[in-house]
Amino acid sequence: MRKPLSIAFAVAICTLSGVAGEQPARSEIEGWREIAWPFPRDGWPAGRAFHCAVESCGDEIEVYVRPKIGFCNCDSGVADDDEVDRVTDLDLMSERFAPLESGSAIRIAELPGRLRSYDLRMSDGSRHSAIGIAVSRRCDLLVAVAQGKGAVSGIQRVALDFLGSSEMARWMTAAMDGR
Amino acid sequence: MNRYVKPATYLSILFIACSTSAYAQQVIGAPPEASNMRLVGSNDLQARSAYQPTIHHQGDRWIAYIGHHGGSDDIPAPVNPQTGKPEPNGTSIVDVTDPAQPKYLHHIPGQEGKYEAGGAQMVRICDGKTLSKGDRNAVYMLRSFGGEAHEIWNVADPANPVLVTRLGGLKDTHKSWWECDTGIAFLVSGAPDWRTRRMTQVYDLSDPAHPLKIRDFGLPGQEPGSTGAVPTELHGPISTGPEGNRVYFGYGTNKGGFLQIVDRDKLINGPREPTPDNLRFPEISRLAMSAFNGAHTVFPMKQMPIAEFAHDKDGKARDIVMIVDEAILNECSEPRQMVWFADVTVENRPMMISSYTVPESSGSFCERGGRFGSHSSNESMAQVFYKKMAFIAFFNAGVRALDIRDPYHPKEVGYFIPSITAATDKRCMTIDGKERCKVAIQTNNVETDERGYIYIVDRANTGLHILELSGAARAVAGLP
Repeated sequence: MRKPLSIAFAVAICTLSGVAGEQPARSEIEGWREIAWPFPRDGWPAGRAFHCAVESCGDEIEVYVRPKIGFCNCDSGVADDDEVDRVTDLDLMSERFAPLESGSAIRIAELPGRLRSYDLRMSDGSRHSAIGIAVSRRCDLLVAVAQGKGAVSGIQRVALDFLGSSEMARWMTAAMDGR
Repeated sequence: MNRYVKPATYLSILFIACSTSAYAQQVIGAPPEASNMRLVGSNDLQARSAYQPTIHHQGDRWIAYIGHHGGSDDIPAPVNPQTGKPEPNGTSIVDVTDPAQPKYLHHIPGQEGKYEAGGAQMVRICDGKTLSKGDRNAVYMLRSFGGEAHEIWNVADPANPVLVTRLGGLKDTHKSWWECDTGIAFLVSGAPDWRTRRMTQVYDLSDPAHPLKIRDFGLPGQEPGSTGAVPTELHGPISTGPEGNRVYFGYGTNKGGFLQIVDRDKLINGPREPTPDNLRFPEISRLAMSAFNGAHTVFPMKQMPIAEFAHDKDGKARDIVMIVDEAILNECSEPRQMVWFADVTVENRPMMISSYTVPESSGSFCERGGRFGSHSSNESMAQVFYKKMAFIAFFNAGVRALDIRDPYHPKEVGYFIPSITAATDKRCMTIDGKERCKVAIQTNNVETDERGYIYIVDRANTGLHILELSGAARAVAGLP
């Protein structure tokens, strides 16, 4: 009986040491609900996904955010709009996206980068609006995409409010630190 | 007594299993780790982070040209003892005629900048006498100049190189290829208007003083004016020249890579405007890799006789491409980057047939510090090793010697992990918001010469090590 207990103890310690860095799964930001990462596995570990309903955001809006650790452009960071096209996760939703205008500089969680708005053509033929955000610290990236069916200006406003919340800023900082 | 001993034993095992062991870390003064490979000579390369070595038989001498990454945070521009001045990392030129006593001849400074941002990583060499319009007395060195230019130097006197040509205005460069018989060069560049950091610019450099642009090439979606998803950027091509009529392109670094097989003649002589149709025109096929792996080096070995298939009526010999991923993150923070062998005999149906990695547990490499995983292979097609052995730079696991005579079952037959020195730079990780650093060898690139010497260079500033095979590994190559 003692042996299984010892093994269970060992497994428990190893398991705890492995999951100590994970964050709570639930968002407490008003109007936003954390949902399962909706995309198949790709080269980067899954991130976090959030949904905001019409009643709270004026539109059905979803935000997907994740760190991409190891990016290569360690000195230049997110240098231009092409970089935003390349590194944000727009292609997970649709390979067919087109920028609506030139991007602009932005800071998210104290990290510098760029934001750009897009028109997305979904596989069912519908059109969505999206914003792509890429910010960096040294060799690491943090990318976010917000998308919905409404006007891009509204999506951008609520998404930036959400990403600028203290809870999200804390999580993004921790995620970039590998926690 | 027994009731205390057993739990104590379990806890000890648990402690060992769960804790980070330090025994694997290298220490200054410890001997190199080796099997069937022996150190012949070394040079510290002025403690510059090194990338591509190219070894050239030049008259009666053997000269090593070694490209460098940019400097480090601590030492952005190391002092060149020959000039007494700090110089941004560029190209080291070393006389390796006597491999036991390499002589540092000259350093050509590169672009200012640190790590991947500066330096002059890439270098290829062609004799003027093999180029149709070159100066017959010249020896030409094609190198990158940081991310902003490609340069050609005349290194006929390797101690006094002279700049011949500069192709500037780029946003990046990398691992170019130059055919010394035709002069055609496949330059890995970042043309300013393309949507990708790295694509191909095809040039006729048969007259190095007067470069002739042939075309820009990349993947549909990367070209100027396109929209939508941008395909993975290029890492580097290898051409088989007009006879083989193929160019093998490796895309990606440590993610979403693929091998692209291209008809060289169609690439050079096909329609040049970078439209999606024109970019697809020379492509024969692509082999997609896992999203977990990229293609740093794609090394073709055509018509390899496979002993196991010797009695088969068809398919006795196979066209093989060895694909080497590049590890990017320190201390195993990404999926394993390793070596893959693809059978491309049926070109429109290429297929992965085997793989190779260093067993992590053989050296606790995830705990040693720095990168662990593959980066690059030798690219010399000289008879001495071609289609028999491959040498793989594996960062903190040093260089690994593979018997590839049966590419369906590659087998490691030797390795060499150099000792660290006081010059070896640290490699850091952020753990719980704090930086934690370790010092380990980071064997970055490898090349061989026709004499059978193996040249490895270190990304973490430990310099150049010249090796030879010993023991059973020599027999694999047919060396006495």
